[in-house]
Amino acid sequence: MMKVLRSFQPTWDGLMASESRRDLILAAMIRVVGSKGYKETSVADVIEEAGTSRTTFYKHFEDKHECFLAAYEVLVEQVFAEVVAECDGTQSWLQRVENGLATIVKLFALDPDLARTAVVEVAAAGAEARQMHWDAVARFTEYLEGGRELSNGRELPENISLMSAGAVSGLIFDELLAGRATQLPGMLPDLLFAMLVPYIGPAAAAEEMRRVAAAT
Amino acid sequence: MAAAGGQKRERWRPPRGRHRLPPEVIARSQRERLLEAAVRVVAEKGYTATTVADLTREAGISRTTFYAMFDDKEGCFLAAYDGIVDVLVRRVTAAYEAEEGWPSRARAGLAALLEALAEEPEIARLAMVEVGAAGPTAQRRYRAALQRLTPFFDEGRDFAPGGRNLPANTSRMAIGAVAGLISDEVTEGRAEYLPSLLSEVLFATLVPYIGPAAATREVGVTK
Repeated sequence: MMKVLRSFQPTWDGLMASESRRDLILAAMIRVVGSKGYKETSVADVIEEAGTSRTTFYKHFEDKHECFLAAYEVLVEQVFAEVVAECDGTQSWLQRVENGLATIVKLFALDPDLARTAVVEVAAAGAEARQMHWDAVARFTEYLEGGRELSNGRELPENISLMSAGAVSGLIFDELLAGRATQLPGMLPDLLFAMLVPYIGPAAAAEEMRRVAAAT
Repeated sequence: MAAAGGQKRERWRPPRGRHRLPPEVIARSQRERLLEAAVRVVAEKGYTATTVADLTREAGISRTTFYAMFDDKEGCFLAAYDGIVDVLVRRVTAAYEAEEGWPSRARAGLAALLEALAEEPEIARLAMVEVGAAGPTAQRRYRAALQRLTPFFDEGRDFAPGGRNLPANTSRMAIGAVAGLISDEVTEGRAEYLPSLLSEVLFATLVPYIGPAAATREVGVTK
């Protein structure tokens, strides 16, 4: 937990402390949408949170929607950078999946507003935002393609990583919708099972699940 | 995108064939007209852009009649949504229960779901995508709708060797995988091709219970 706190906080603080008013507005957008919901969020809420003027907002963005899309892009890049920082080329595929999932649930637990914006509220922000969300999920699960190596050359469906992505994001979505962001790290064993099972089957996936559950 | 009613469009109608909607749903009451109108308008304009005025115009009812039935747009949308989910679940249940053996039952249920969604691409969009735009209550309703499919998935526990040792969340995972595959197609505007996704969706359903080797085999043999 502390490791993520240390590694994530500077990025976030960096954004918060940024000279750029645009960055301040983006960070405010992510927080306000996470706490109020996308529909209920107004430009006035965002500039109040950011401490900037209306003029500044409209100098950078057409409207709330355009600002949200820009904020979402930053959010995805930051989460992805955190995940990549915890994974490197020397790790086994299994280790990478475990570290990647652990990083995401810890991030989300530390910052429930960010989590709600990333996973739940994005669905309310229109087709383009939904596409960005799905692209981000696909990008994360591309990490999984190495899972094919573990399947002993067996032929697996082409879109198998979409299945893992759907299973994992469904579980996370339900927890966030129920307001249980802080309990997400406790879901790690189940999330790992969901991610691994299409590749290695229930017996092997359950073994990994028990190993992780015992370690936490 | 043209505004609802701005062009001649085919009216939404209940699915055809032996899975036809029960008479009480078909009844052309004002409420039913309104719910059908909500499906059409929201599917076409998107939830956010839809107004109560759009709904009353499309349904041919007055504002007063609308507000006698529903508090707001959201209430109307949720009622329409529940109606759609009821029809879908009924079709899946009928197909599932007509077969013997879990993999064949799962195949039949999923095929029925994919066909129902493909028959009415606008309903598919509404059921899987637009619902996300309609606020937290609708999102919870969507997740609850998916959970109504749990019993069909959980039968995999009895079928699978060692199925009792699977995580409690296994059915939620399988449902999430299936929903992910379907949403992806629908988001890309390919709802009418959903039936061609049957092999993948069946694999996603079977794999957490019986593993990739057996799932691949079952996808190949069950017809």
